[in-house]
Amino acid sequence: MKDFDSSNAPISAERRRVLLGLGAAGAAIAGASLSGNALAGSTSGQPAPAQVTEAPKSEKTQDHNEFHGVHQSGIVTPRPVAGMMVSFDVLAQDREDLERMFRTLNERIAFLMTGGAVPQVDPKLPPLDSGILGPVVTPDNLTITVSVGDSLFDERFGLEAVKPKRLQRMVGFPNDALEAACCHGDLSIQFCSNAPDSNIHALRDIVKNLPDLLMVRWKQEGTVPAQAPLKPGQPPESARNFLGFRDGSANPDSNNQKTMNELVWVQPGSDEPAWAVNGSYQAVRIIRNFVERWDRTPLQEQESIFGRTKAAGAPMDGKTETDVPDYSKDPEGKITKLDSHIRLANPRTADTQKNLILRRPFNYSNGVNKNGQLDMGLLFICYQQDLEKGFITVQTRLNGEPLEEYLKPTGGGYFFTLPGVVDNNDFIGRSLLAAATAVTTKTA
Amino acid sequence: MKKSPLALLVTLGLLQTPSVFAATAPLDLVTPVSDYKIYVSEHVDTLVAETQKFTDAVKKGDVATAKKLFPTTRVSYESIEPIAELFSDLDASIDSREDDHENGVKADDFTGFHRLEYALFSLNTTKDQAVFADKLLADVKELQSRIADMTFPPEKVVGGAAALMEEVAATKLSGEEDRYSHTDLYDFQGNVDGSKKIVDLFKPQLQKSDAAFVAKVDKNFATVDKILAKYKTKDGGYETYDKVKENDRKALAGPVNTLAEDLSQMRGKLGLN
Repeated sequence: MKDFDSSNAPISAERRRVLLGLGAAGAAIAGASLSGNALAGSTSGQPAPAQVTEAPKSEKTQDHNEFHGVHQSGIVTPRPVAGMMVSFDVLAQDREDLERMFRTLNERIAFLMTGGAVPQVDPKLPPLDSGILGPVVTPDNLTITVSVGDSLFDERFGLEAVKPKRLQRMVGFPNDALEAACCHGDLSIQFCSNAPDSNIHALRDIVKNLPDLLMVRWKQEGTVPAQAPLKPGQPPESARNFLGFRDGSANPDSNNQKTMNELVWVQPGSDEPAWAVNGSYQAVRIIRNFVERWDRTPLQEQESIFGRTKAAGAPMDGKTETDVPDYSKDPEGKITKLDSHIRLANPRTADTQKNLILRRPFNYSNGVNKNGQLDMGLLFICYQQDLEKGFITVQTRLNGEPLEEYLKPTGGGYFFTLPGVVDNNDFIGRSLLAAATAVTTKTA
Repeated sequence: MKKSPLALLVTLGLLQTPSVFAATAPLDLVTPVSDYKIYVSEHVDTLVAETQKFTDAVKKGDVATAKKLFPTTRVSYESIEPIAELFSDLDASIDSREDDHENGVKADDFTGFHRLEYALFSLNTTKDQAVFADKLLADVKELQSRIADMTFPPEKVVGGAAALMEEVAATKLSGEEDRYSHTDLYDFQGNVDGSKKIVDLFKPQLQKSDAAFVAKVDKNFATVDKILAKYKTKDGGYETYDKVKENDRKALAGPVNTLAEDLSQMRGKLGLN
C-alpha cells in the first residue's frame, strides 16, 4: 500500500495507539485472506488512518455496573455520555401479570447490564436480539433504572394502600406548556450508557420481550458533552447544558453515603411504606430551551440570569465552579441577583439544605419546530428522598424566574424509583408486590 | 389453482433444504395454501362488486350512500392485504394515505380509497371525484385478474398472518388509517380476520409442533375480538375510532403486539424460508 494522505491521520495519541494495534491485526488478516483490503495498514512503518466506515474505537465497551445492590444503579452512578428516559403504559391485566412484568424486566436488565453472547436460534425464526451490538452484547457501562408512576397505584392492581406517600401525578407549573403525549406514565425506565446505541439496544430488547406487558408512552434521549480529562489537582467540572452553562454545580456530594441517605434515599423509620426504603423519588422534566434567542442575549445578561459566569461556571463572587457563593454578604442582590436561577434554586441557607436534589440531566435535540427554530433543551432528571421538599419546592421557588423567558417545559412526570435488587432471590419490584399482598391478606 | 400441487412445491423450492423446523411435510402445506387462495379469490370478488357500488354512488353524486359504503367496501381489501400488497403499484394507487405523498392531498398520484375518503368525509363532496372513482374500480379489477393468475408463495401466505398484525400495530391502533372517516375499526377487524384465517388454515400443522403456541395465539385473538365487539353497532358496523376508550386502546395494544411478535415465528415453525 502507498503512503496515506497524512491529512487523514488522527491527531490524538490514544487514537494513534489504537490504530497501531489495529494495523498489526489488520496485517495478519490481510495475509490470510483479505489481501487488497485497506485495513492491512501501511508498509511505510506508519499506521494508516482508519477506513471511513471502520467502527469508532472505545476501550470502555466492557465496562459494567453491578446489577445487584441495596440501591438501583443509575442514580449516584457517575453520569455517562448517553441517557434515555422512556415512560411506559403497563398493559398487565392483574397482579399476577404485573409480577410477570417485574420478573421479566429483572431478567432482561440483569442480562443487559452484564452482557454476554445472545443465544442463537434457527435462522428461519426471527433472532432473539436486534443484533445492533453484535452477537455478543457489551454492557458499555449500561445502567437501567426502574421507577413507578402514580397511575400504577390506581384500581387495576390493588396497590393503592402501599403507594409512596409523596408520589403524585405531575401538575403543570405556571410556565409549563405540557403536551399530554409526553407526560406521566405507569412506569419509567432510565437507560444510561457510553453510547446512544447501547441504550437503544437495551430498550429494543425490553420492548421485544414484554409486548403484552408494556407499551412505550413517550421517550426522550439526551447526551452530555464529554470534555478533556482534568489536569492533576484541577477541581471537577460539571458538564454544560445547551445554554452553554455548567449544570449541576451545586449538587450534593454523590460519593458521600451520609449525604445521600439524608437527601436521596428513603430511610427506614420514615413515614414512607417500609417496602420503599432505599428507593428514591424521580422527577423528570423535558424543558425546551429557546436557544436562538438565548444566543442573541448579551453575555452579562446570561450570567446574571443564571448567577454564574459562563466560562468557568463560578458563582458571581467566586473564581471556580466549586466556590460556594456567600449570599449573606449580598442581601440586596447586587452581585448575584435575588431572582437569578442559582440563588432561587438553592438559597444556601440552613433551612433550605433539606431541599437539595441530586440533578442528573442530559441535553436533548429533537429536530426543528415549524418556525424553523431548533427543538432542543434539557432532559432534566433529579432524585430526592422527598419529592415535595425536593423538586416541587425548588421549582416553586423558581416560578417566575427571568430564565423562564428562554424555557418551556413540555413534558415529564414524577416517579418512585424502586429499591435495588439485592441478590438472585430478589427481583425488581418484589418488595412493592410483597407489601401489597400483605395488605390484601390482612384485610381479607 | 393452475399448477398441480407438486409443480407448485417444486417451483417454490419447498422440496429442498431440511431444517430444525422441517416437521411439516411440504405436502401438508398444499391444502392450506390452496384454501387460502380460494379465500382471497372470494374476497377480491366481493371487493370488486362492492367497489362497483361504492364508485357508482360517488359518480352519481350520492355523498350519503358513498359514505355509508366506504368502510364496508374496504374491509375485503384489508383482509387480503398480504397478497394485495405483493402488487406494490396497485397497493399504492388503491390504498396509499395522504402522508405517503410529499404533497399530501394535493399530490397527483394520491388516488384510491383514501383520496375518495378525503373528498367524502373531509370536504363532504363528490365533485371532481369521478376520475378517482373510475381509477379505483379499474385498479381493483386489475388486482382481481392478477390474483387469478398468481401462484401463491406459501411463505408469503404464512407470513401474511404476522404482516396483518403489523398493519394493525402500525396504523390501526393509532387511528391513522381512516383519518377523515374514523372508520378504522372496520379495517382493524378486516386485518384481524385475515390474520386469523391464515392461522386457522395452518392450525393442524402448528398444533402438532407447538400446541402451546396455538393456544396463546387463540387467546390473544379472542381478547382482540372481545374488545372490538364492544364497539359493534346495531347495523353490524362499528363505532368511529374516536369513540374507543383510552383503556380499550391500551387493552388492544397488548394482544396486538404479542400477536405480531408470536406470529412472526409462524413461518419458521412451519419450516418455511
